[in-house]
Amino acid sequence: MKQLNVLKSLVIDSLDTITKGTKKYHIWMGFLTLVMIIGMYCYSIQLEKGLSVTGMSDRVSWGLYISNFTFLVGVAAAAVMLVMPTYVLKDIDFKQAVLIGEGLAVSALIMCLAFVVADMGGPSVLWHMIPGIGVFNFPNSMLTWDVIVLNGYLFINISIPFYILFQHYQNKEAKKKVYVPGAVLSVFWAVGIHLVTAFLYQGLQARPFWNNALLGPRFLASAFAAGPALIILVLAIIRSFTTFNIPDKTIKKIALIVTVAAQINLIMLVSELFKEFYAPTHHSESAFYLFFGLHGKDALIPWIWTAIPMNVIATIILTFGKFRNNLKVLYFCCVLLFVAIWIEKGFGLIVPGFIPGPYGKIAEYLPTGIEVGVTIGIWALGAFVFTILAKTAIGIELGELRYKNK
Amino acid sequence: MSEKNKWYKLNLGLNRNKKTATTCGCGNSEGNCNSKKEKKLSEQEFYDSAVDASIGDEREKDGFDQVFDVSMDRRSAFKKLTASLLIGAGAISSCTSVIKSDEGKEKAQIDWEEQFKGNYKLMTDEEKEKTVNRLMRSYELRTGKNISMSSKNAEEDVLFGYAFNISKCQGYMNCVSACVEENNQDRKSQKQYIRIHEMKDGEGFNFNTADDNYYHEVPAEGHFYMGTQCFHCDNPPCVEVCPVKATWREDDGIVVVDYDWCVGCRYCMAACPYDGRRFNWTKPEVPEEEINKNQHYLGNRMRKKGVMEKCTFCIQRSRQGQNPACVEACPTGARIFGNLLDPSSTIRWVLENKKVFRLKEDLGTEPKFWYFMD
Amino acid sequence: MKDKHLKYFFLTMLLMVLFSCKKEGEYHSVTDKIKAEQKPYHGKLTSEDLLTGTDLIKITEGEFTFLIPERKGQIKSYECIECHSKPFEKKKNANLKKAHWNIALKHANSDIMNCATCHNENDMNSLKSLTNQKIDINLSYKLCSQCHSSQFNDWKGGAHGKKVAGWTPPRASKTCVNCHNPHSPSFEKRWPVQFNTQKGIERNDGLGH
Repeated sequence: MKQLNVLKSLVIDSLDTITKGTKKYHIWMGFLTLVMIIGMYCYSIQLEKGLSVTGMSDRVSWGLYISNFTFLVGVAAAAVMLVMPTYVLKDIDFKQAVLIGEGLAVSALIMCLAFVVADMGGPSVLWHMIPGIGVFNFPNSMLTWDVIVLNGYLFINISIPFYILFQHYQNKEAKKKVYVPGAVLSVFWAVGIHLVTAFLYQGLQARPFWNNALLGPRFLASAFAAGPALIILVLAIIRSFTTFNIPDKTIKKIALIVTVAAQINLIMLVSELFKEFYAPTHHSESAFYLFFGLHGKDALIPWIWTAIPMNVIATIILTFGKFRNNLKVLYFCCVLLFVAIWIEKGFGLIVPGFIPGPYGKIAEYLPTGIEVGVTIGIWALGAFVFTILAKTAIGIELGELRYKNK
Repeated sequence: MSEKNKWYKLNLGLNRNKKTATTCGCGNSEGNCNSKKEKKLSEQEFYDSAVDASIGDEREKDGFDQVFDVSMDRRSAFKKLTASLLIGAGAISSCTSVIKSDEGKEKAQIDWEEQFKGNYKLMTDEEKEKTVNRLMRSYELRTGKNISMSSKNAEEDVLFGYAFNISKCQGYMNCVSACVEENNQDRKSQKQYIRIHEMKDGEGFNFNTADDNYYHEVPAEGHFYMGTQCFHCDNPPCVEVCPVKATWREDDGIVVVDYDWCVGCRYCMAACPYDGRRFNWTKPEVPEEEINKNQHYLGNRMRKKGVMEKCTFCIQRSRQGQNPACVEACPTGARIFGNLLDPSSTIRWVLENKKVFRLKEDLGTEPKFWYFMD
Repeated sequence: MKDKHLKYFFLTMLLMVLFSCKKEGEYHSVTDKIKAEQKPYHGKLTSEDLLTGTDLIKITEGEFTFLIPERKGQIKSYECIECHSKPFEKKKNANLKKAHWNIALKHANSDIMNCATCHNENDMNSLKSLTNQKIDINLSYKLCSQCHSSQFNDWKGGAHGKKVAGWTPPRASKTCVNCHNPHSPSFEKRWPVQFNTQKGIERNDGLGH
């Protein structure tokens, strides 16, 4: 069939593009491969010895892996911040950035799935979750909801851009009535994935640090700040390394989204702090541990007190149009915001939820070398996948990759 | 499609097949070669040296390998992800191998069936029998010793309840010791389902300042003791959140885990408000002579690494009419166990006549473990 | 175009909400469940198998009827009158060697209790009540219940003491003397039998050097 031929040719051409490039490109890909291999090696140690090689324990049973998973779901959801203006609000300025954003979503989702698998105690029996062959505890378990929405979102974010690129590859126009409904669906779906992931934690009455109404909205706000911040940084890199044209206007509009989301995030943070510290109850112990240490245990204090000021400073700077429109300042603030929200969602949310334990015991958590190894291996995997996707997409969009009828 | 091998070009081997059709020893399919081989070679020798020259001595002379097998470093990185398939493949190959012994084959067969069986809760009684028999046989094959494993279902009209007398507990920890022995718990990580908290008099039930890590003569002056374990809630949050339904509440009220079905996501551990669950971060090890050979599938059989476990009210004992090991072992009689549905049981008398309370009542989990005082 | 999308969206939301409603448990609380489903236990399980080999007698106290372990067979030197032929008063001679010299009475102070408080001088095989009524040694709990009435009530109901074996009917509970030495009934201070998890690990790590 002709379609298969086109597909085969697309695969070969994209493999061609991926493996050719400047020296810097090859150093980048080589470095990523090296890190991935380190990650694989660490993971093989973890498979052999069990999860005891990580820093997790019966008291703090979720650590670095799930922190990164939570954060990356947010980043994936944020790609929708580009999709919505392009397809729903028909803002032409975003058009170039959309495919990059969706590629970022795909690689973030692959990272999420990798983190979840890395965290499992029995990855070889994960088939137990497949409905039909195994048992799928839907709708009771929020984890099953999460599996559905994440895989659905991955599917949407692979199929829509793939359709568009496939058409462009053959020099054809992508039909609006095929991709626009998918794009609109993905907007709502993106809100869904992060809300469901938040509900994973929000629904546990055993962990009062998480069991509050603001967790879901806070997740969304921080995701829509961190995700587009990463997109801005990626677009900046693409601008400088390829001939792909992204106008300043696009970046400045995305910056506006980041600013508003960061401001809402700060307001929610203030609300949470007020609730925890105005009339502290037994349930505020986790917040006390996080911000001020408890009974001499204070391992998380440096982390949170770096993250919050970074967050506040970045938000304040971005509020002023003069600074936001200065691209160098913007990039700096995006880095600050991304790192700050990464810390907040990881060490500032997941780990303190477990401390103190159900009977008030404080067992601190510190990731081991193996955990860090697997984590950076998976981040390298994400960067690798994204580079591949971006290079192919940019190639097609710039007209370099075209299907030649042979 | 050029033959030029740039250092960064990914050689997928799509053009490999051209090379096998060489007629010359140096490997080029066209053009002159400088081969100085003048002497006549036999057909076979010629073929051998041609193949040798083109693909090298280290390769197997297998057509399949030549066309499809490529030296790709990244492939080795993904081998680890097929761990499960390797288990199955290894099992199959040892099943059909001619050099493996009968016992080895039987063991591989058992491992294969165990890997792919379903959820215990959904099994029929027959299937439960079969899996228990397989596990007993597997143990026999591995260690040469016999165990007895039961798959007994819940008794009718039984709902287990537990009461703990705070005035009587003196912190002796006989219960912990008996539990560890009875339930084949990992000795290396000192896994204990029961925790005994030493609390100061006059401060109420203050878990924050309680010490559960004491080791001195008990009872210590000015302190009182109480114990916690899985409370077998009637509305268990851990059961709600399991994505594969590996944990559920049986009809007699015991919350159990199917160790072979658990995927190790630890969501139930995050959801339990009472610290009832324990995870096997490593492979659990029990010295051979200390293994309790009277086992139940859902209870004290040997677990593996990466699965959750918890107190099961000694399901292997309570379903035979015995008391759990902790109840039996307590020297002061602080622990009371029985059938809540039987109006004449001692546990019902305690609930009706003593001032009982439960922990974290406001969470709505309905634990079946009450505390009371004299 | 947008209206159609909105319609689909709301329809999907509605379906999701309907589909995702969890089935609530039938009972609001455990006590409701107990009240609704309670039934005297007539199942297959019985403690009789576990109790074989122990001698038990049946007692009835108030509304409670249950088994207790027989005591006479457990006392090595029963029957007491084999040695103690003479009544107690005749023995109140300071020169005679004190009987059972190795039994220290650590029960109550000497204003309240001495040997003659419990042991029946007219019949050394039995005990006696506060009003000098004979109490059979098998039913020694009747003696204890005179002072320890609240513990007695708890024991009758099942909140005090232990079962001989198992939770199934017929109920067989241990008596006072099965756990408490009547001459020195309190539990001594002692070291715990086992380390806690963390302590155990710390010690293992320390010893592992």
